Amino acid sequence: MLGTWPLNLKRKRELARLGDNPLREYYQRPFPSSRSDSRALEFVALDLETTGLDPQQDVILSIGFVNVLGMQIDLASAQHHLLCPNREIPEQSAVIHCITDDQAAGGKRIEDVLPQLLQQLAGRVMIAHFATVELTFLDRACRQLYGAGFSIPVVDTQRIAKRSLERQGQVIRGSDLRLAECRRRHGLPHYRMHNALSDALACGELFLVQQAQFDCRKAVALKHFL
Amino acid sequence: MDVELIEIRDYLAEHPPFDQLPDDLVAELPRQITVRYLRRGAEFPPVGEEQAVWLLRTGAVEFRDGDGELMERLSEGEHHASPCSGGPTLPGQQGKVIEDSLFYVLSCSAFEALREQSPAFSNHFEKNLRARLQHAITQLQQHRGSSSNLMHVEAGSLIKRVPITISADKSIRQAADLMSRERASSLLVVEGEQLIGILTDRDLRQRCIAAGVDVARPLSEIMTANPQTLDSHAPAFEALIQMTRLHIHHMPIVDQKNQLKGIITASDILHQHNLNTVSLASTIRHCQGLDCLVEASQQLPELQAQLISNGMNAQQLTRALSAVTDGITQRLLELAEETLGPPPVPYAWMVAGSQARREQTTVSDQDNALLLSDDAQPEHDKYFAELARFVSDGLAACGFVYCPGDVMATNPTWRQPRRVWRKYFDKWINSPEPMALMHSCIFFDMRPLYGDLELFKGMQQETLAQCKDNTIFLSHMAANALQYRPPLGFFRQLVLIHDGEHDDSLDIKHRGVIPVVDLARVYALSGGIAAINTHDRLKAAEELGVLSHDGAQDLQHALAFIATLRARHQAQQHMDGMAMDNYLRPDKLTRPERAQLKDAFSIINTLQQAMAARYQTGRMR
Repeated sequence: MLGTWPLNLKRKRELARLGDNPLREYYQRPFPSSRSDSRALEFVALDLETTGLDPQQDVILSIGFVNVLGMQIDLASAQHHLLCPNREIPEQSAVIHCITDDQAAGGKRIEDVLPQLLQQLAGRVMIAHFATVELTFLDRACRQLYGAGFSIPVVDTQRIAKRSLERQGQVIRGSDLRLAECRRRHGLPHYRMHNALSDALACGELFLVQQAQFDCRKAVALKHFL
Repeated sequence: MDVELIEIRDYLAEHPPFDQLPDDLVAELPRQITVRYLRRGAEFPPVGEEQAVWLLRTGAVEFRDGDGELMERLSEGEHHASPCSGGPTLPGQQGKVIEDSLFYVLSCSAFEALREQSPAFSNHFEKNLRARLQHAITQLQQHRGSSSNLMHVEAGSLIKRVPITISADKSIRQAADLMSRERASSLLVVEGEQLIGILTDRDLRQRCIAAGVDVARPLSEIMTANPQTLDSHAPAFEALIQMTRLHIHHMPIVDQKNQLKGIITASDILHQHNLNTVSLASTIRHCQGLDCLVEASQQLPELQAQLISNGMNAQQLTRALSAVTDGITQRLLELAEETLGPPPVPYAWMVAGSQARREQTTVSDQDNALLLSDDAQPEHDKYFAELARFVSDGLAACGFVYCPGDVMATNPTWRQPRRVWRKYFDKWINSPEPMALMHSCIFFDMRPLYGDLELFKGMQQETLAQCKDNTIFLSHMAANALQYRPPLGFFRQLVLIHDGEHDDSLDIKHRGVIPVVDLARVYALSGGIAAINTHDRLKAAEELGVLSHDGAQDLQHALAFIATLRARHQAQQHMDGMAMDNYLRPDKLTRPERAQLKDAFSIINTLQQAMAARYQTGRMR
């Protein structure tokens, strides 16, 4: 648990060498301290739908995100963007996400969406379920578009779920850590839809639950979730 | 953004009151929502936060009053809007999250904007429970389809023209002239405003021409004096039953002040109606033996199911069923008299309980009694014991089970001359012990059905006058009326009865209907009101000022809603081939129905509390 200070160091380094672009603007806002009370912080729950797991080969199909203010999710901030990939969607991933080439063809270009996302993420903490996908794909996109890598303090709801199961001494199967299964364990409603925004929302709700596991009368530092 | 928050939109669109919103407003709604999660044990709504409407997505919340008594329970899909709508919050009432809960939260300002944009949505938060309930009753009936059957139609509405009246001193010829001129088949004979007789075509034929009476004689010699009349608000169905019973074709209709409104004929009614519902009454009239009556009574559940599916409300339905039961009882008495010979002294066959109130459902037991003339001698009892046995056994064979409390004319205690009955009432009123109160509840809801109806008339007035100002008796009756409470925390399994057979069900009779019936009885006794039907009692209580206008209206609507739900439940059981009962399964209700039932329960609760305060019933327990 390193806290966010190494991230802030990196942020300042990137800021020094970056030209005037949306990533630079993003890095101008400091990351919140890991000692701040999580209930007073602002988060963005984010989900990317991609053609696969390898950022070198695969591309982002859609992006969904919504702000979480402390203990509440503000649906007014919700955004969902379909991106147009510059190559065919492999059949397998289209089945999962129900995004067909036709739909995606009506989508936007990543360079038009990324600035909005960065603006919303600036100064906030990212929430994602298995955040590696979001981090690596955004990192790749930022490198391609703005010439520098992407970093952000992250709350990974999957990791929190894993830790919590480990603490209970349970044998963990891979399926136990899936978003839907984590939600089911906590009695959260089942969402039929499978798109970037509903998954981002689902993940945000799971975070509300995880946050609530702490004694609600005391402040809970962000570092507990990192 | 197009369809992304569709899950939330769909969820809102399925749950009241948001289901009342037009599509375009629902589509915009998710953006105005914040999602919240509260753990078990948290205060609800959280203190120190902006007021909002909370829709419970998953979990459960309870509200308790200052004494820790459960007031209300929110379950999934239900909302808590009173912080924004100014709904009732009791002092000391505290909400608590009892299961980890996820909420969709809407700010009061967004809520207000929705109310302004959608009247249907706004209606849901109508502060006036009554307006909401009224709306619900209409929906419940519309739901069942409408019909122009006889139960829907009030007898008064079938009156075709202003009454044609004639004074009693006119001659038969003058009467015949008037009838020809007016093309009327009957005349109402009046003295001033007072109806004193009726003259029909048939009277002219049979009592004048065939009997060779001089047409110059006064018409009073051939008229039928003191004819049976019917209240204009009575259902047309009842008029038909009365007419079949009395073998008459004309029925004068009066208003509640006994003012003459007009006359209706059998053919007026037959024009109006669909015959199924009435043929039963006619079958009963013509039954020559018990077998025939038993067969006819077996059609009662079917009749109930049919009437309900025709969109009849509970009040009309129970009136119809009571009328049929009256018919069966009357026919049994006629058959008994045919078998046993004429009675040695005049008597009145009394019905009590729900039949007397005209609030019977198919699932009813028999409550009856015999009121004998004071001329009755001990040796006459043999006759009346046999008469009672005959009728009571006959009713039992027809499916009206023997009264579990033995309140039947077969019990010698309830087969007594008038003077003994007077003593009974004296005793009940002056020493209101538990047993006396129970008997008061039964016998203050009593009406004469057959025999010498006059025997009862004076007695009811005397007893009413006696209890009107007897505050001790009234206080006891009030306390007694509060023993059945509506289940305010009705939702989830908390207050459902657990007796095996009726698990997870709600006794809608004792938790919903009886509390209103009991309240209405106390109002009636405190106002000296002779009416025994609960709706009539509430109306009269309102007119007398015993009960506020709002209270009377609210209770009537609550009862109408609850009783209609019950009747529908029974009709459904019948259609499913099950025996009818009073155990309603909350999970068979739609969400709006549950919400409305909650409204109805809270109305009853409010008026019970008012009664408790007024009579200080707390001191008696």
